[in-house]
Parts: sequence; C-alpha cells; structure tokens
Amino acid sequence: MSKRALLPRWLTSEHPLPWLFPVTSLLIVFGLYPVLYSLWLSFYKRNPATRKEKFMPSWNWEKLISDERVWDAVQITFTYALLALAIQLILGLSIALLLDTDKKGFGVLRALMTLPLVVPPAVTGMMFLLMYDSSFGVISNSLYALNLLSPTAPILGTGSTALLGVIIADVWQWTPFMVLIMLAGLRALPKEPFEAASIDGATGFQSFIFLTLPMMSKIIALAVLIRGIDLFRIYDYVKVMTDSGPGTATETLTAYAGTVYFKSANFPYASTVALATLILVLVTASIFIKVFKVRF
Amino acid sequence: MASVKITNLDKAYGSVRVLHQLNLQVDDGKFVVLLGPSGCGKSTLLRMIAGLESVGGGDILFDDVRVNSVHAKDRNIAMVFQNYALYAHMTVRKNMAFSMRLNKTDKKTMDEKVNWASSILGLDDYLDRLPKELSGGQRQRVAMGRAIVRDPDVFLFDEPLSNLDAKLRVQMRTEIKDLHQRLKTTTIYVTHDQIEAMTMADEVVVMRGGYIEQSGTPMEIYDNPNNLFVAQFIGSPTMNILECQVVEDNGTNYASIDNTRFALPANRDLNVGQSVYYGIRPEHFNVSKQSSSDDNNALTGVVKVVEPTGPETHVYLTLAGQELCAITRDRLELRPGDEVQLQPDLSQVHVFDGDSKNVI
Repeated sequence: MSKRALLPRWLTSEHPLPWLFPVTSLLIVFGLYPVLYSLWLSFYKRNPATRKEKFMPSWNWEKLISDERVWDAVQITFTYALLALAIQLILGLSIALLLDTDKKGFGVLRALMTLPLVVPPAVTGMMFLLMYDSSFGVISNSLYALNLLSPTAPILGTGSTALLGVIIADVWQWTPFMVLIMLAGLRALPKEPFEAASIDGATGFQSFIFLTLPMMSKIIALAVLIRGIDLFRIYDYVKVMTDSGPGTATETLTAYAGTVYFKSANFPYASTVALATLILVLVTASIFIKVFKVRF
Repeated sequence: MASVKITNLDKAYGSVRVLHQLNLQVDDGKFVVLLGPSGCGKSTLLRMIAGLESVGGGDILFDDVRVNSVHAKDRNIAMVFQNYALYAHMTVRKNMAFSMRLNKTDKKTMDEKVNWASSILGLDDYLDRLPKELSGGQRQRVAMGRAIVRDPDVFLFDEPLSNLDAKLRVQMRTEIKDLHQRLKTTTIYVTHDQIEAMTMADEVVVMRGGYIEQSGTPMEIYDNPNNLFVAQFIGSPTMNILECQVVEDNGTNYASIDNTRFALPANRDLNVGQSVYYGIRPEHFNVSKQSSSDDNNALTGVVKVVEPTGPETHVYLTLAGQELCAITRDRLELRPGDEVQLQPDLSQVHVFDGDSKNVI
C-alpha cells in the first residue's frame, strides 16, 4: 500500500481550497478583522464623560482633517522616515560594498554585522536612552568633551535634536538589514560584465556608477520599499526614548494614535488616526512602486 | 597592433600550479589559437594577457614593453567572453559605445564607429534593442562589435562560440576569420574545439596541464604531432592508436599486437621488445574489399559500423581485438560483418615511445 493511501483523505487533496484554508483564516482573524473593526469604530463618536459611543460616520474623519497635531505628526513621520531611510540606504550600500569580498575574516564580519537585528527595538531604545544620558551617557559625554553639544541642551530633551536622536537608534538597528539585502544583491551580480568594463577602460568608480547601480536598482528599490513601509509605522523607539517629547517634537502618527488610545481612551478617534497611517503608507508605497517600477 | 611575448610565465592558485614556465611568441597581426582540454590553463593564460589575473612569475610583453602590472583598462586590448558579458541594462548601441563613452569620445565619432561595426556584423536593425531581446548569435556579434570599435592592439577571444549551436558556430567561425583578415589585428583565441583551431589559426598552441605541448601551423601539428596527446587531440575522427611491441622478422621491424603485425616505417630508432604506440590517422588507410589486394602489409579487419558522411565514408572495424577507424572516399558498399583489407600508408605512420609517449 502506498504511503499516500495511509493519509486521511483531506491531506491528499489536490484541490487548492483545503491548503489555502489555514493561512487564509489566520489572515482574516489577525489581519482583515482588526482593520475592519477599526474602520467600523471610526464611524462612532465617543463621549468621554458617559463613555458611550454614538454612530456618527463623519465625526472622527472631520476631526482628523482639522486636527493640527495630526498634520504635525504627518510631517514628523515623513521627516523621520525619509531621513532614516536615506542614512540607512547610503550606509547599507557602502558597508555592503566593503564587505563584498572573499578575503579572510570577512565572513565573520558579515555575521557580526547582523547582531543589532536580533536586539528587541525597545531594548535598543533603552540602550540609546542610557548612552544619551547627560550625566553618564557615553555619547552625550563624548559630544560634550568635543564641544559639539552643551550639557544644557540634552539630545533627547531638546526639540531640534530629539528626532535625530531617535533616528540614530533606528539607524543602528536597521542598517544591517540594508547591508544584508545589498550584500545578497552584490554577491549575485555576474562577474563578467565588470571584467568586460575594466577591459573597456572603466575605473572602479565608473564601474560602480554605470554597472553596479543600474544592475542593483531593482534590489535597492525593493529594500527601500520594505524599510520605508516599516519606518512609516515607527512607534517603539519614540515611545521608549522620548514618549513623543519634548512637547510633541517627536510625535509620529502612530505615536499620536497611541496617545489618543491610551491617555484619552478615545478608541474611535485613535482607530481613525491609525487608519490614516495605513492610508498614508498605502498611497506612498503605491506611488513609489509605480514610479520606480518595482517588480516582485 | 602589437606583438605579444610571454616568457617563463607562472601562475598558481594557492598551492596548485596552473601554468608552468610558459614561453610564447605571438607576432604582430597573427591569429593564434590556444587549444586544449578544459583545465589545461588556456583561459587562465588568456586572462593573464588581458590583465584580469595577476602574474605569478615571468613576463608578459606587448611590443617588447613589460605589461605585468599594467591595469587591464590601460592595455588597449579587447576581449570577447564565452558568455558574452554584455551590459544587460544597455542597448546594443550603448554596449558597443561604452568604451568610447568612458574616454569621452565625441558623439559623431562614436556614432560613426558604432555604425561601422554594426554594418560589418549585420547588427544595423538591432542597435536599439536590449541584449535580452537578441538571439545567442546576435549577442555574440554585439560582444564582437564592442571589441572592434575599440581598435585594440590585441583581440582576445575566450571560447566565444561554445554557447552557440553547431550551424551558427560554423558561420561565426568564418565571420571571425574574415574579420581578422580584414582588420589584421593580433588575435589570441582560446578554444577546446580542435576544428575551430585548425580552421582559424595561423598558429595553434596545444596546451595540457599548464604546459605547452606543441605549437605550430595547423598542418604542422596535424602532420607531425610531437607526442601521443597532441596526436589524439587533433583530428576528427581521432588518430588510431595501438599499443604494440616491436618485433623483428628477417631484419625488418614490425609493431605487433595479438600476433598481428603492422609494418613500421624505416629509419626509426627502435629496439626489439620496446613497447610503442602505433598511430595512424583514419584517412591514411587504403580500404579495399577482401579479394582485391595481395600486399604484404595489408591487414584484414571486420566491419562493425559504417558511417557515410557524403564525400567520404567512416568505417569502424575490429582488427586484432582493437577498434579502428578508417576513412575511404570509395563507395565500397560495406556492411557490418564484411571483411576488408587495410593498407596503412607507411609515410604517414606515427610511432610514439611507450614510456615517454613522445614521437620516435
């Protein structure tokens, strides 16, 4: 008797539905349902005093449009995402180029490079919080010693530097991800066109500009897309390191949604802000995919 | 244009030596083919000449100027790679113009050169296509176009035809030879295909295991192989080789195997009892049907397979327990199992020493 015949009938099905069922139900329960629930919630107006909710479909959305804190948060989210993305992309590609060699010892370096990725983001936030501390933090004290920063204006406590402080933690944690993707791309490039180019008279820099970058463009676009979507949803670093402060200097959209939810307990409006983040990510990502012709 | 000279060239990867003290002279304007089985070091040698591999020892000279440490981009060479190595994101035109774009040639000269190359190679209709939209043969031509627009001192070809189908290969072979006759640029061409080597080369360099076994014109190598390896590597169908003992009968030496005697050419320095390889090319047998010959040296074989190719017929037969191939231009109407008589042309018999495998 064949092994196949020993299995229950539904495990040998050649129809796609039984196989799609488990993952589809997971997606529905943990993906689709929360989104639809938020959407439904956003159509209610909550009365904080009575803690009652009343069906008023446009109330929260109108409030969203007229809420200045939302527009500030959108601006901060974009600043955060674009700045962090640019730094991570340039650093990631540069480090990948340096590590793209078969020389001895570089395998270990490539492995060590991934270490920040396994640290939980909240722990990274705490770590940088300690390093930024104005009395014993190694980063702050070094900057004071170099006269680049004054102890009267702590990094995370000053409106102009707080966002950068959070971005640096993000860069430390996520640049390795860029390095990994870029390295995979670089290692997969064929060698011959580069040899042909060097015979054609190209310098190393010219090869990089005319061959490496165009040949890597699809990989770069994909990495930017993945990281970009992630960056728009930034929450952990802001929550742990500055809690949106000082004032609202580091309040991103998700951080604002969190504040509305946990501090004001206005669940319908918090859902609306969260949905606004989703819409922002979808629109931005779609434009990016269209403009840069990203293919999966 | 330039001559290329190689003296005592060495190369090792780690502890593995891949080239051993090579010496080679390629005269200006010559077409030299490096021929050998895979792993013989021919591609490594070519890449060293190109400047893509470092030199382990010895010298490479272009026009008597040492270029060992000159970067590939400064050697003024052009190379055609086995898998074409085209720039996949550039059109045919941009692929061909790339080198000129790098050294900032003006647009007019650039267009003229690309148009000249594309008309030579029949690529006029494809200039604005991407490599992926071309067939293998067309890609190969783009790779050649990229090489010829540079007006290089030396052309290097690394098995450029091995990815093409048989018919295209023959056609491109002729095109490359024609191109060389027109441009007269010094060319070094690597292949493992002895037919390519024979048909294209002014000079063939046969390599094995990092050594040069023999070099000379194609016919020199075909007619007078230095050793057993060269004898077997050149020619298709390959030379018949029989492992024999020298025996004497009435003051005449014979090569003997399984009590069958093969006549040996005179004036060879042989000792009785010496083990030798007796080599003869298929076309140097005179094949006749059993009855028609009474020559002393004639041998009798049994036909196994008959392969008519049109102008000639390849006859595979068994003789003294050995398989032999003979080629005849006569239409003998042979069938498997027929007995035939073979007369070796004594002036074309090669005898190789059993130990050193060098020609005697």
